[in-house]
Amino acid sequence: MNDDAGRPAPPTAPPELSREWIRGVLEPCLLALVATGDSYGYELAGRLGSAGLGPVPGGSLYPALTRLEKQGLVSSRWRAGDGGPGRKYYRLTAAGRHQLAADAERWDSFAAAVAGLLRGAATR
Amino acid sequence: MNDADWLAALDHELTLRGVSAAERAEAVLEAETHLADTGPGAAARDLFGPADRYADDLARAAGAPGHRAAPGVTEAETCLLRADSVAKAYRGRPALRPSSLAVAPGQVVALVGPNGAGKSTLLRLLAGLEQPDAGSVDRRVAAGWVPQAGGLDPYLRPVEHVELFGVARGLSRADARREGGRLAAHLAWDLAGAPVAGRLSGGTAQKLRMVLALVGSPRLLLADEPYQGLDADSTRRFWDLLWSVCEAGAGAVVSSHDPQVLRRADTVLELEPAAEGAR
Repeated sequence: MNDDAGRPAPPTAPPELSREWIRGVLEPCLLALVATGDSYGYELAGRLGSAGLGPVPGGSLYPALTRLEKQGLVSSRWRAGDGGPGRKYYRLTAAGRHQLAADAERWDSFAAAVAGLLRGAATR
Repeated sequence: MNDADWLAALDHELTLRGVSAAERAEAVLEAETHLADTGPGAAARDLFGPADRYADDLARAAGAPGHRAAPGVTEAETCLLRADSVAKAYRGRPALRPSSLAVAPGQVVALVGPNGAGKSTLLRLLAGLEQPDAGSVDRRVAAGWVPQAGGLDPYLRPVEHVELFGVARGLSRADARREGGRLAAHLAWDLAGAPVAGRLSGGTAQKLRMVLALVGSPRLLLADEPYQGLDADSTRRFWDLLWSVCEAGAGAVVSSHDPQVLRRADTVLELEPAAEGAR
């Protein structure tokens, strides 16, 4: 967070503002990730990181997964880990698939609108 | 706070928010697995934040009862206690503005407000220790009473207190001792071996008042600043005990200065200062 002057923040440590953005898009992003296969919290956090969204703390991740499960957009089941404790795997439901398609469509127009505004201002 | 403590605190905070045992176990195990996967060097608090805030987020996400609005109780016959526009003045000086409340089985009502707002006065009216000048109190069940101070005989041992109170509520002496010991154990206190009440510390005397209020399982608990002088652990234990009693169908009215009471109670009644200039 507190970087030396002149040194850009590494992509793994997003500034406060992007963290706010991530909170808004975390749920559709999680839907997109579980759409490619069943996954558990820690793995999903890692995949969000490698996708360039920076580290998503567990404190944001699991409440989001819980909300998705309560809305019936994902289902979950426990699988025994090798030696370690079991893991809770999340799977996209049919309702989740519909939601994901709708989100992706709405996101495109929203992102285009924001990009248009920001780019217009930057080149002015 | 190490991770084991943090996980225990998470479980406790989820309990306070009415999250079911099964969901609690899953949430704790999931956090534990996440910590194990992350490896050493990452503290639970850094990954998840303070346990109470994380519990808030999870409970809200799960739609737990601790985050649902308390049911509005108006049906007279389902209430354990009702007060309608009760007011009180002492020597012409207002002590309590007209106030109303209802307590249903399972419900915890918190009384909050500054000193002089009449929290203790209202509780004394609800307990029937005093009569209101105006309005009415309809109490349908026996009440256990936790006074702010006093209420104990300095020359009697806690076990003798428990026998007296238990027998008054229809228990045998042996049953009273057993139940008192069980209630005290919930508050992490060994009642059987405790010395006479006059030699108890303030916090331990307060635990005895709680035990005496609850022995014999009254359907209603009225508590005036019940955890003054208790440490954080004992306060948590008090709430755990109160919630388990209320889950079994009792109701409670608890006055407090502690802002935490706001999220632990089902309903909050805020009293305003009764007299001009009262603080």
